Amino acid sequence: MTFFADFCIPFIVGATVMFIIIAAKYISWLRDLPRSDIKLIVKGAVSPRLFTAAWEVVRESLLHCRIFRVNPLLGYMHMSLAFGWFLLIAVGWIETVAYLGLKWVPLQGHVFFKYFAALNDFGTHKPTFDFVMDLLLLVVLSGVTLAWLKRLRSRAMGMKRATKHITFDRIALSALWFIFPLRLLAESVTCAIYGGGGFLTGGIGHLLAEGINADILHTIYEPLWWAYSSALGIFFLTMPFSRYMHIFTEIPLIFLRHFHLKPETKEKSYDNFEVEACSRCGICIDPCQLQAQLGINDVQSVYFLRDRRYNMLQQKIANNCLMCGRCEAICPVGINLNTLRQNSRTSMRNIPNENRYKYLRNLDRSEGDGRVGYFAGCMTLLTPNTLTAMQQIFEAAREDVWWADKSGGVCCGRPLKLSGESDSAQKMIDYNKELFYKHRITTLVTSCPICLRVFREEYKLEGIEVLHHSEYILRLLRQGRLQVGYSAESTFTYHDPCELGRGSGIYDEPRAVIENIGKLLEPAHTRKDALCCGSSLANTAIDDRQQLTIARGVAEELDATAAQTIVTACPLCKKAIARGAKNTVKDLSEIVAANIK
Amino acid sequence: MKHIIVIGGGVAGMQCAAELAAHNFKVTLLEKDSDMGGKIRGWHKLFPTFTPADEVLSGLRLKLAQAQNITIMTGSKAVEISSTKVALASGKELECDAVVIATGYTLFDARIKEEYGYGIYDNVITSADLEEMFNKGDVRMKDGSTPRRIAILHCVGSRDEKVCQRHCSKVCCVTGVKQAIELKQLYPAADVFNFYMDIRMFGPGYEEMYREAQQTYNVHFVRGRISEVSPNIDKRLQIKAEDTLTGRPLRMGVDMLVLLTGMRANDDNSHFAANSNLRCQPSGFMQPRDSFLHNTESNVEGIFYAGAITAPKNVGEALNDGATAALRVKAWLESKK
Repeated sequence: MTFFADFCIPFIVGATVMFIIIAAKYISWLRDLPRSDIKLIVKGAVSPRLFTAAWEVVRESLLHCRIFRVNPLLGYMHMSLAFGWFLLIAVGWIETVAYLGLKWVPLQGHVFFKYFAALNDFGTHKPTFDFVMDLLLLVVLSGVTLAWLKRLRSRAMGMKRATKHITFDRIALSALWFIFPLRLLAESVTCAIYGGGGFLTGGIGHLLAEGINADILHTIYEPLWWAYSSALGIFFLTMPFSRYMHIFTEIPLIFLRHFHLKPETKEKSYDNFEVEACSRCGICIDPCQLQAQLGINDVQSVYFLRDRRYNMLQQKIANNCLMCGRCEAICPVGINLNTLRQNSRTSMRNIPNENRYKYLRNLDRSEGDGRVGYFAGCMTLLTPNTLTAMQQIFEAAREDVWWADKSGGVCCGRPLKLSGESDSAQKMIDYNKELFYKHRITTLVTSCPICLRVFREEYKLEGIEVLHHSEYILRLLRQGRLQVGYSAESTFTYHDPCELGRGSGIYDEPRAVIENIGKLLEPAHTRKDALCCGSSLANTAIDDRQQLTIARGVAEELDATAAQTIVTACPLCKKAIARGAKNTVKDLSEIVAANIK
Repeated sequence: MKHIIVIGGGVAGMQCAAELAAHNFKVTLLEKDSDMGGKIRGWHKLFPTFTPADEVLSGLRLKLAQAQNITIMTGSKAVEISSTKVALASGKELECDAVVIATGYTLFDARIKEEYGYGIYDNVITSADLEEMFNKGDVRMKDGSTPRRIAILHCVGSRDEKVCQRHCSKVCCVTGVKQAIELKQLYPAADVFNFYMDIRMFGPGYEEMYREAQQTYNVHFVRGRISEVSPNIDKRLQIKAEDTLTGRPLRMGVDMLVLLTGMRANDDNSHFAANSNLRCQPSGFMQPRDSFLHNTESNVEGIFYAGAITAPKNVGEALNDGATAALRVKAWLESKK
């Protein structure tokens, strides 16, 4: 029994090279992991997380549940290709076993089973397998058809824009498109000559046998199997260098993620798994406001990850992002897009200047000696209405407050971190942390979500509870320490700041506070789907006019709710939206202070 | 008799209407407010000669009163403009042979620069508020006391990318110098500080006035913008700035802060541009046909510009524009015959 024919060579070469390259990549990435990450892997591998990870692999790498949720048609396309192909391989393997029993068959024997079945005469046909294999092939072909459709008319697939691809992707993509139609043809012609096959290959084979001269069929028989094998070979050869690397990479990524590995402030080896798990599906393009409002179409996460992967990332691409997190929220692979972008910036820009921060030594402009600390943050100091309102709220609640920066303080560090100057940011973090401990506060309240985020994520303030003022005010209201007047006549709409909502998961508290004062009307994009005000500190590339264009778009939506007042809970958002809005824009604390009973 | 509509009854519009009437045209002057005068109404004295603004305004009023064939329509806001017709907010439509747009500028709203605390803290006022105080002869702090230290901040809403006002408003520097002198005349013992980015003394007599402010009146000039204002413990205003000449940050308690608010383009401009095929500049001000030979004409035949509609201008320039636009209208109508 032979399992080799000359046409198998492209496939064998392609598959071998692919597996060697992929193995080499994974081994080198794992080898370069920091020791702490390796410890996490060892710990995770012997825990139940191994099984939850395996289950996620089934759901995401095969079934693509998350894409289904974002876009059912796109979900079906990915599922039919991935799960369909997987089943073709799995059922094909069972088919081999069914025919030949449990014996070793070389890889090409499974893949080109129909060919070798005809060549070796494995005995009577098994119609059930013929039917199942044809059905699976049909499923995959339907996916391929959708993929063609997506290229030709992305709008028909519910995407305004599809990804612009590089050469490797185009080659791999074209090969992928041809694999299954060629397989259909090769198998159908085989059926036409040798009989057998299910409703699809058998059916087409029957038609071919009737309509086409047998000589012609015999002439095209081998070339068709060559073409099928070559398409597979080309796809496999280009795969490790193309977007299709995601097919395999998502699997180790899911496991590592379940073992609690994650990207950090500085680039590390683990990032490779995230970067190469990007399928360049382009789902991140449509929610990007830089794309929708400003027509900037080369900076989105898909392009950022692509450029980073091929070592051609430029600062102007890395810096041109609001880091609003709208794409991260929707990414079907769940890649930590913001952290990766931030650590790329760090790699490009982190030049700590030791002299610059000498002034931090012995600096303390804080006032008061309460156990509750209030950190206004730079942006709140530039929007003093918020500061004044907080002062009134503290007074009304008779809270004894330690004012960290009322007469000027040191930045929380997040703006520097976002711009890539992580080491400089660390100096601010260390300074403020020491200051908080020195004044022995137990609660730290801030009205700036940018500060809040870095306090929670980087400061590791043990023994100090960090609260956003929305959480703090709600607590005061619930404890009865603060009373506000309610009027059904007052209508408000609320803008979710990126750093507060998607960034810190605080959606309900500000809304609960507003509903204590008046009626809340939701804008079109809200909560996890909320728009960015456009003035994000994270974007150092767009200019003021472009920021304003984005702000106007957001303001229009908020104005459209017909609420009397636009409320937000971030001083930067407030400043940004106020520039574009017709209605008055207030910070949450302002409407609370104005309605204190 | 040809009929010309002049939109805007500020100095440029008044001048233009009077000149047109002198050239034997029938003129309708539209003013959206209840009285003529535009921004100069409410101004105390004009730089650099300290001429009372009222003197200029009454001169213009007299000129209009003496002219034949002028209809003045106050409380009339133009909403649609073409070279042959102007529609008013009231729904009325006026036929004409040419239009001069002299709707001037809008004062920048200092509340947008919240960090300066206008509308939040007492004793943060704008240059326009100060002129009003001068007019009332009552320059005092909110609690009625006399200011001992006053800061004047230049470029509020001018040359500021953050509020989309990239242009220089041109007249604020010299206004700051003028107001500093007036304050010193009123309160010789007070310290007056000007915080500036550049001092642009472009007109005749301006530089001399700047020198005088320093030599005679001992007004202080600090190069640097104020970054933020907050109230301090003794209820004064704490300002934070950087002295960019010494390269040092600076904190100072002051009793009063005067914000020299800039000129920004009217919100209407873009509407007129879209509906009448007129061109706007990136700054929002209207674009004249060219900057030299046709600087009081628009890109549309029969529509002319006078005054600060095309760029920030001082009173003298606006008056010149008014007279020039009148001559241009006349020449254009004659050439049409």
